[in-house]
Amino acid sequence: MATLTEPRKKVLRRQMEAIVGKSAVLSDPEELLVYESDGLTLFRALADFVVFPTDTQQVAELVKLASREEMPFVARGAGTGLSGGCLPTEGGLVISLVRMNRVLEVDYENQIAVVEPGLVNLHLSWAVGPRGYYYAPDPSSQQACTVGGNIANNSGGPHTLKYGVTTNHVLGLEVVMPDGEVVWLGGKTRDPQGYDLVGLFVGSEGTFGIATKVVVRILKKTQAVRTILAVFAEIDQASEAVSAIIGQGLVPAALEMIDQVTIQAVEDAFGCGYPRDAGAALLIELDGLEVGLDLEAERVMAACREGGAREVRLARDEAERALLWKGRKSAFGAYGRISPAYMVMDGVIPRTKLPQVLRRVNEIVAAHGLRVGNVFHAGDGNLHPNILYDPRKPGEEERVVKAGAEILKVCADVGGSISGEHGIGLEKMDYMPFIFSPADLATMQRVKEAFNPDGRCNPGKIFPTKKSCVEVGPAYRPHPIEEKGLAQRF
Amino acid sequence: MGSPFVDGIRSIVGSQHVLTGVELSPYVVEGRSPEAVVFPGSIEEISAVLRLASEERVPVTPWGGGTKMGLGPASQRLGLVLGLKRLHRLLEYEPGDLTATVQAGMTLESLQSALGRHRQWLSLDPQFPGRATLGGILATNASGPRRHLYGTARDLLIGVTVVEASGAVIHGGGKVVKNVAGYDLPKLYVGSFGTLGIIAELTVKLRPLPDDDRLVLVGFERLEECGRAARLLMGSDLIPSAVELLDGEALGRLGLAEGEESALLIGFDGLAEQVAWQAEETTRLFLGLGVTRHRLLAGAAREETWRAVREIGRRVFPEPSAVVKIGVLSTQVVEIVQQTARIARRNGLRAAFGAHFTLGLVTGVLAGGQGSAQPVVATIKEWRELARSIGGHLALEWAPLAVKEQVAAWGPSGPEVKIMERLKAKLDPKGILNPGRFVGGI
Repeated sequence: MATLTEPRKKVLRRQMEAIVGKSAVLSDPEELLVYESDGLTLFRALADFVVFPTDTQQVAELVKLASREEMPFVARGAGTGLSGGCLPTEGGLVISLVRMNRVLEVDYENQIAVVEPGLVNLHLSWAVGPRGYYYAPDPSSQQACTVGGNIANNSGGPHTLKYGVTTNHVLGLEVVMPDGEVVWLGGKTRDPQGYDLVGLFVGSEGTFGIATKVVVRILKKTQAVRTILAVFAEIDQASEAVSAIIGQGLVPAALEMIDQVTIQAVEDAFGCGYPRDAGAALLIELDGLEVGLDLEAERVMAACREGGAREVRLARDEAERALLWKGRKSAFGAYGRISPAYMVMDGVIPRTKLPQVLRRVNEIVAAHGLRVGNVFHAGDGNLHPNILYDPRKPGEEERVVKAGAEILKVCADVGGSISGEHGIGLEKMDYMPFIFSPADLATMQRVKEAFNPDGRCNPGKIFPTKKSCVEVGPAYRPHPIEEKGLAQRF
Repeated sequence: MGSPFVDGIRSIVGSQHVLTGVELSPYVVEGRSPEAVVFPGSIEEISAVLRLASEERVPVTPWGGGTKMGLGPASQRLGLVLGLKRLHRLLEYEPGDLTATVQAGMTLESLQSALGRHRQWLSLDPQFPGRATLGGILATNASGPRRHLYGTARDLLIGVTVVEASGAVIHGGGKVVKNVAGYDLPKLYVGSFGTLGIIAELTVKLRPLPDDDRLVLVGFERLEECGRAARLLMGSDLIPSAVELLDGEALGRLGLAEGEESALLIGFDGLAEQVAWQAEETTRLFLGLGVTRHRLLAGAAREETWRAVREIGRRVFPEPSAVVKIGVLSTQVVEIVQQTARIARRNGLRAAFGAHFTLGLVTGVLAGGQGSAQPVVATIKEWRELARSIGGHLALEWAPLAVKEQVAAWGPSGPEVKIMERLKAKLDPKGILNPGRFVGGI
């Protein structure tokens, strides 16, 4: 936490103002409060300063200043992260990149774009949309989250089943290294020589440096899309159907599952046409050429029917498709209406283990006297159990955290992972030993030291440690954009 | 060879799995012989061998199928060749999960045949699949034409078990298709040429085999028009799996030419009706671009044509004098092919070109020079400078030693090489793994 003396703070503030200007430095505790959390409001930590650079040079100067003054620093995008990854756990400097939000260059012929890290994910697709292109990674917070944040977390989204996650779409990065040096990793051309530093940087949760320019692939929109809703009486049937669909030799663009608790919450809140008494539903999307797409859809629908679906529906038009997706995407807003708070988990399992693991998830949560809603990326086995709770009830939050840990242990034990897209951050540091040995972690630590030898760049994240001085709990507060139903958590 | 070191290696793996003396001849690289070759039978044995090599500071050269040993600078001392051929098993395969875990010494072909029984495949198509091992393919980041749609090893590798120089066995990633826990170590080992650790096991993402798979060969009177056609294809609704451009010289020497200056080889896969519609659509798309012929290849003809394209470096000339890979933008492919061809001609050499068009990756093959390295060296240097001047890069994929001694295998590196050096120092502090073969002299 902030430990700087007032006189020193004043001196530092003046130095920062000299770099970014007076209006781009916050140091008033009231103003800093806004930046004490990300989308996971369970954790809070206060920075000494929040600064808003507008170009690479300013970021580099700020990092050099932090380095000179031995002050920890962390980059921050929109703050929609769900693992506490951008919290200033040791105080110091939060470098907000939201003012670096330009699309610098679009090269349609080569299908690449160069953007700044503070650009909102969806705004990139909007920028290239009129020419028939889009940026594929689509985290459900894409109306708010930034490309830079996506890089830190290697963000996914519903359509990553077919199109891959962030790392599959980033070709190059201009990075301010933790010593302030500006270095390009990768670039516009393929197969840059040497180690895949871009691949290493993406998903490093802001611990390797700060990306200040990003070269991404943009994709041509496909000719056609089909969206299917399959409704099942039992959740087990839906789980089994997931593997049956994949067994058809097709890779759907998206394959999402929504359980009964979630369907009821969504229907109460928004009325998207999901049957309230269903045990679970699958939302399946196919895309590609117009030719043959109906045949592919027929194969998927047949697999669902054979799997016992009581209803299989093909969206007739764009309006119906949008309504079905609204049901999927507004789940989190809907939870807010049936529970004062909820905590979302992000485990991954081999998809053939879905039926048994979902049963275990429900048992674990029930054993802790809690309720859970599941809405998740079933196609790639990325679970999102949302544990519903009331933070005002004493002891309930601790039970949630315990249940969450048990769920992630189950994921690890069936050969899965503790995070599919939200990152480790602060939240899951101590669960890393579920899936990594001390030797594995030691190698990761050495890799970190190669980029960030002094450890001042986003300290206290990813690696198991008990010493962080972060405040935990109590109150869940929905993100303002979430309250407005503008964005979802994943 | 009876050194205490080799005796120590023998006691780890058994004498029958260690080669010395005249048995080393298949493992001679560019005139240099290793001191011994060892074939460990388990991860534990790799670990014990590396621990010993590390103590004795003997360089270790990992060896899969040996198809890429000429890539990179010549090794100063091969030391101990560590062959992975005994580790060739498929360890875990659950078709419903579309993932498989294999030992690094398994060849791509044997993996594909096991997967094919379940109508699945690993979507990588590098050259020599019968010899190339999964470990070697990852370590050298080998790829083929279908990377246009399906990506490269970095997109498919989800987990890796590596034995580090110290003998420590570490895991990166996992066995699930989506995973952001910890740093993405699998990416670090892809393309690292065994300089950071020896890949022992790996888990990959698989894809269903398409119902139908065809190749459309379209000839063009002029190279420029071929390039325009490829750009039209990129901007169209079609979803090809591969888009390869060959120049006239390559076409002729691969036995594919009918007098045209250039051709596109386009892969289409998916449902039969999707393949047929797309093949048909290309005839409309390329109208007015001087198309000389339009041919649809399937089955063995398709397979053989792709093989020829993949093996362009070894096939176009009976005695090539160098093979290079140039990386530029797709819009620069035609220009770079024309200019590099002109430079080669001026230096009295023959040149043939193939390109992964959409990705801007051009393979250039040189021949001639009457046994003198000088024109070859001069040509490659000019090519590299040209590539650099338009923002690209050039790597020497293969050349005789006389050429390699005078031209760097890898291009000049920027400040990012300092990070690479630090990674190397952290993970192989004694520098025993494949020393000197990598970028920046790593």
